[in-house]
Amino acid sequence: MRACRRCHILTDKTTCPYCGEPTSEHWQGYLVVVKPEESIIAEKMKIKMPGKYALKVR
Amino acid sequence: MMETKIFVVKTQVGQEENVANMFEKAAKRIDNKIVAVLAPKELRGYIFVEGYDIDVIKKLIRHMKYAKDVLEKDVKIEEIEHFLFPPSAVANIEEGMIVELVSGPFKGEKAKVTRIDDAKEEITVELLDSMVPIPITVRGEQVRVLKKKEDE
Ligand SMILES: [Zn+2]
Repeated sequence: MRACRRCHILTDKTTCPYCGEPTSEHWQGYLVVVKPEESIIAEKMKIKMPGKYALKVR
Repeated sequence: MMETKIFVVKTQVGQEENVANMFEKAAKRIDNKIVAVLAPKELRGYIFVEGYDIDVIKKLIRHMKYAKDVLEKDVKIEEIEHFLFPPSAVANIEEGMIVELVSGPFKGEKAKVTRIDDAKEEITVELLDSMVPIPITVRGEQVRVLKKKEDE
């Protein structure tokens, strides 16, 4: 899995399918967002779309 | 809307992401009573499950091979916020510092920091015991700071 450098979403693509930024294979920390509109964690991370995310990407 | 709570679930070490994925699948089955699952890298054997009802989680983990238990006391978002924004691996490193390499082929060697790449979280060092100073680039996690500056 790779992570988008901007939105942190996990994908197997080399370019993020959502924001078009290049993705990186160097990431850590794992976050699954099921219901962003109800989640305080998603709110803190400014995540608005359900999905799997990395906490840190480099 | 009801407020969510953040519960601490104990998992088998190394299975944190796996258990997080199981909660995601279960959440869809039980009409999203789980809203998010967090598995920070720094925590081994624990994940955070954000939901509404501890009994729902207790019931779910009975069917999860790698989930062991849920702690009775939930945690506040303030207590786990630092996991959401992990610091850079080079945050405490400055040029001129003396570091020890803690992994890789030069493990145990002392070196002086000559350059820091914040974006890549990499540093370039020169080994102290080498006759010719050859720059080596390593990840920030690969060094331990020994001295602030060479002459301090
Ligand atoms: Zn993206």
